[in-house]
Amino acid sequence: MVKPDSPDEAAPRRLDPRTLLLLPFRVGWGSLILALPAVLGWSRGEGFNPGLLTFGLALFLIVSIASGLLGWLTFTYQVLPDQVVIARGLLNRSRRSIPAERIQDVSITRGPVSRLIGLAEVRLETGGGEKDEGVLASVSLAEARRLREVLRRQATAPAAAADAAAGAVAVEDEAVLFRLGTGRLLFLGLFKFSLVWIAAIFGLLQYGGELTTYDLEWWMGRLRDVVVEARPQDDPGFGLWIVGAAIALGLATGVGRTVLKNWGFTLTQDERRFRVRRGLLTRSEVAVARRQIQLGLVEHGPISGRLGWRVFKVQTLGGGGEASGMQELLPFARPREVTPIVGLAGLPPFREDDLAAVSPAHAVGGLIGFVGIPAVLTGVASVFLWPALLLLPLLGLGLAVALLRPGRHRFAATEESVQVRRGVLGRRDWTVPHGAVQTLTMRQGPLQRRLGVATVRIDTAAGGAAGGPHVHDVETARGAAFVGEVMARVHALPPRVRSRATAGVDEGA
Amino acid sequence: MAFDIVPLQRLERGYLQVMRINALIGWGLLAGLAAAGEFLLRSRTGWPFGVVWGPVAALGLLSVLVLAPGRWRRWGYAFTERELHVARGWLVRVHTVVPVARVQHIDVSQGPLERGAGVATLRLHTAGTEGSLVTLPGISAARAEEIRDAIRARIDDAPW
Repeated sequence: MVKPDSPDEAAPRRLDPRTLLLLPFRVGWGSLILALPAVLGWSRGEGFNPGLLTFGLALFLIVSIASGLLGWLTFTYQVLPDQVVIARGLLNRSRRSIPAERIQDVSITRGPVSRLIGLAEVRLETGGGEKDEGVLASVSLAEARRLREVLRRQATAPAAAADAAAGAVAVEDEAVLFRLGTGRLLFLGLFKFSLVWIAAIFGLLQYGGELTTYDLEWWMGRLRDVVVEARPQDDPGFGLWIVGAAIALGLATGVGRTVLKNWGFTLTQDERRFRVRRGLLTRSEVAVARRQIQLGLVEHGPISGRLGWRVFKVQTLGGGGEASGMQELLPFARPREVTPIVGLAGLPPFREDDLAAVSPAHAVGGLIGFVGIPAVLTGVASVFLWPALLLLPLLGLGLAVALLRPGRHRFAATEESVQVRRGVLGRRDWTVPHGAVQTLTMRQGPLQRRLGVATVRIDTAAGGAAGGPHVHDVETARGAAFVGEVMARVHALPPRVRSRATAGVDEGA
Repeated sequence: MAFDIVPLQRLERGYLQVMRINALIGWGLLAGLAAAGEFLLRSRTGWPFGVVWGPVAALGLLSVLVLAPGRWRRWGYAFTERELHVARGWLVRVHTVVPVARVQHIDVSQGPLERGAGVATLRLHTAGTEGSLVTLPGISAARAEEIRDAIRARIDDAPW
């Protein structure tokens, strides 16, 4: 067992020397791939000078190795009893100290190469705005575990002295709440059908045709005729074949990406945190402190949702890893599996019966955005390219969505939380405990003023830019009453739970 | 004003003068730049002097005389001991409610123009995202300090 306050522990340390082995993967790799087409282009031209290229590459390697070595030599970290000090830089020396009580968690990430040589990246989650505030790029796995244990012990010590005795044991003492089986993982992948990759591959076909071998070239040529230039040749079955191949490709990339990301997905909990581990090549681990959870979001996919599958996410203050503070706790689960996790996250259950729909005028925005503007665009496009008219049936879908929107956007202020439901094809159910409501804003644009409606925006800590739990287009008077009701609930909260965002910060005081 | 949540108070009249002077400075600079550019390019364009900076100056005048009072009238606030309401906006109307229990810290500031007009700006910081900073300009310095002290007392009272 390591003692955090013995002099050896507190001495400044460098990163693991094996970090230098990772150097080519860190600096060189990306730029080398970018250079590849240039090299290929060069190699086909006449005025190519191999000596110059070698010189350039050598220079690049020397500079990157030298800077990497200097970076390694000048970077030290130091774990003191009450803070972590990270010093770096040769000319511009910077010393950053992160107070122990601000470190909310320590996450360990391992890429494929790091795993091969036994290294790990340690990230100190502080909940501050800056993302790379406390990153130790690579230390040995043993050192990473030691750091986590020491820092966690320090962080919990002032908060709960009672836990300290059981501290070291409690870290290991995790209960598994959810595990994503292989069958279910593959099934989830089918819903992640991706068109983006198909587009990318066809883009490659258009420009990269010459690079392929002779036999493939003929196929590529035909593919391009059919897909890129919309010129189906003698064989009509070929077009169908392409569509089939595109769908298969989309499914394959979806499954592939899902397997890479969510392989071995496990959700566990100890006495204070949820922990999500997942990934095939890059195994990642994210911790979510339970009392930092600001809101819960249950998502229904357009198809998977109708088949009874749900995604459960929480927005957490100072959770790390992903942007916008949203963390996925359950990627693909049945409602009966979601309910207990919602409870463990300290969130009240979503009560469908209490919900009331927004104003019918909510359809107007949809009619403009999903029908009006696309109709105009299609009209303009069809003047130049008649197949654009084939998109017209999609306008019917847009019309249906726009008309259904008001009935599917519902909200309520229940005893414990604000609930918002939204979405016609897919659906999202937000639960915001009153303790997490920071401010309420009513907003009314010029069109909304004509319709006599307004939007109520519910601001929470660590929210993302897009798509929060907002109530769009509710009649002005009802909106004002809703704001008053939520405010009354906020004021009625007992002081302990008054604010979720400040409770964590002030708990030591 | 816009929404019937609570009755709102207007900002101090002095702040209208601050808004006017700010608009005057901004538009004056713009008109000056336009005039200088026009003067320098006069030989190339052959336009009569005033064809560009004239409309700019007219817009500025409109802004100072009509738009600034319009915007000033749209501002409103209310402090109910438990929450602060701030309403503003002419084209898009916005009314923000900040529960006092959510305030992390408070600033009262006064620029040179504001000092001359005897008004101050109150800034409330919360832990929120888009509403993390709520600004209320143009209230009297005494009122700003009164609200600040009231909020601070309530924050200190809360037994964590």
